[in-house]
Amino acid sequence: MELALALGLIAFKVALLIAALLLLPLPLTWLERKIAGRIQQRMGPMRVGWHGLLQPLADGIKLLTKEDHIPAEADRFLFKLAPILALAPPFVVFAAVPFGESISVMGTEISLYVANLNVALLFILAVIGIEVYGVVFGGWAANSKYALLGSLRTCAQMISYEIPMGFAVIGVVMLAQSMSLVDIVRAQADMWNIVYQPVGFFVFFVAGLAEAQRIPFDLAEAEGDLGAGFHTEYSGIRFIFFMVSEYVIMVLVSVLAVILFFGGWNGVLIPLPPLLWFFMKVAFFIYLFMWFRFTFPRYRYDQLMAIGWKVLLPLSLANIIITGILFV
Amino acid sequence: MARALEKSGNWIGWAFFADFGTALSLTFGYMFSRPVTMQYPDKEKWLPYSRYRGHHFLTRDEKGEIKCVACELCAKICPCDCIEVVPYEDATGARHPKVFEIDTARCLFCGLCEDACPADAIALGQQYEFSSYASRDLVIGRDELMRKPGKAETGGGVVGARLDTRDAVRVETDEPAGYDWWRNIRRS
Ligand code: SF4
Ligand code: SF4
Repeated sequence: MELALALGLIAFKVALLIAALLLLPLPLTWLERKIAGRIQQRMGPMRVGWHGLLQPLADGIKLLTKEDHIPAEADRFLFKLAPILALAPPFVVFAAVPFGESISVMGTEISLYVANLNVALLFILAVIGIEVYGVVFGGWAANSKYALLGSLRTCAQMISYEIPMGFAVIGVVMLAQSMSLVDIVRAQADMWNIVYQPVGFFVFFVAGLAEAQRIPFDLAEAEGDLGAGFHTEYSGIRFIFFMVSEYVIMVLVSVLAVILFFGGWNGVLIPLPPLLWFFMKVAFFIYLFMWFRFTFPRYRYDQLMAIGWKVLLPLSLANIIITGILFV
Repeated sequence: MARALEKSGNWIGWAFFADFGTALSLTFGYMFSRPVTMQYPDKEKWLPYSRYRGHHFLTRDEKGEIKCVACELCAKICPCDCIEVVPYEDATGARHPKVFEIDTARCLFCGLCEDACPADAIALGQQYEFSSYASRDLVIGRDELMRKPGKAETGGGVVGARLDTRDAVRVETDEPAGYDWWRNIRRS
């Protein structure tokens, strides 16, 4: 009985998480287009529903009913595999992400995470690296030069940005003496990590921008010079897969930034429910991503590489050394 | 010295991403400024000034007769060669156009025909919505040109409007009073 209850609870949590993550891109695309509009002194979508709220739904239906086209010369197996490879890892990663301490419903304690892994951070960084294969395969299999160039850029970008990202979080791990995200948040109960780790946060955030393929580092799908980059040849449901994956990764990077550097669900001053605090911080980061997107132009390819290897990597290494000397 | 100071100031600014901050605050300001676009055709519509050069119309005299004397000056001056006039003489010996066709698909709305006309018979009005599926529908004949609305007295403003797609695609205006958003589109 006990076991059945526990298993049922886990199944329920997983189902809830998947549903939430699948539906999340709907409001996020709406928000993104609205923010784009307002920043460019337009109104954004206005026609479908109140202030265009139902526009993502209409777009979704449109994409679902579109022809699912596979180019004649494409590698059909890889072409079909790539969207799944791009979509699955961001979802898997969320299993290790905690959203708060436990809450009690009808006398049972329910923890707000699927699994409290003791190597959660390592797990996340490792699994999220697999997502890149989706992008790379997608660009390769389509047999189109734009897509291939897009995935080539992704390869180089991921190699040069995952390293500083991994190094940047080491400082946090050193402070919390643990790799479990729950422990990391608990360690920040008194003071958020951003105070001790401003450089770490900077490196993490910039690398996160690159990881989420957002402007100013969206070299892989640079609309201006590559058509649509790696997903140039994708249409219909497979295109939705890439889109959803991109938004989920954006949410993931926001969540990680909050957990690692901004105290997770620990509030300041105003006593609000921890979950609310958490979502407010995540929302702020998501807004920051969008705000960046419509403010900055894209970096040139060699500049991207230079930033990764000549600025972020030395900075993150120095950060580790200084943290080691000061705090451990 | 001043230059060196300025230079080092620049470097300090760059090190702390001062220019990023400026850019972000600029776009944040825009985020809360007024949109400059109008919701055409769903909610709003632009009424052009009376000097606007839109769809042509042919005027009538006091008796309701067509003013045009079929002198073909407009056809001669038209840079696009898009006016075709075929004259006839009525019982009193006055010349009028039997055929008067303007190919609005080729017209560039320069207004030279209006300037050239000795009888003030042709002019360009305010109407600007006349798209069609076939370019041959854009050749407008004499009778239709006489039915077209003339120049409006007022204009230059946005009025409430709504899209009507029941029988044809039309944007109907609600009220005559408009508002001037163009005065405050610039942020100070
Ligand atoms: S507006 Fe210009 S182009 Fe058009 S019919 Fe008149 S003269 Fe020709
Ligand atoms: S519209 Fe004017 S210029 Fe043209 S034929 Fe008639 S009278 Fe002459």
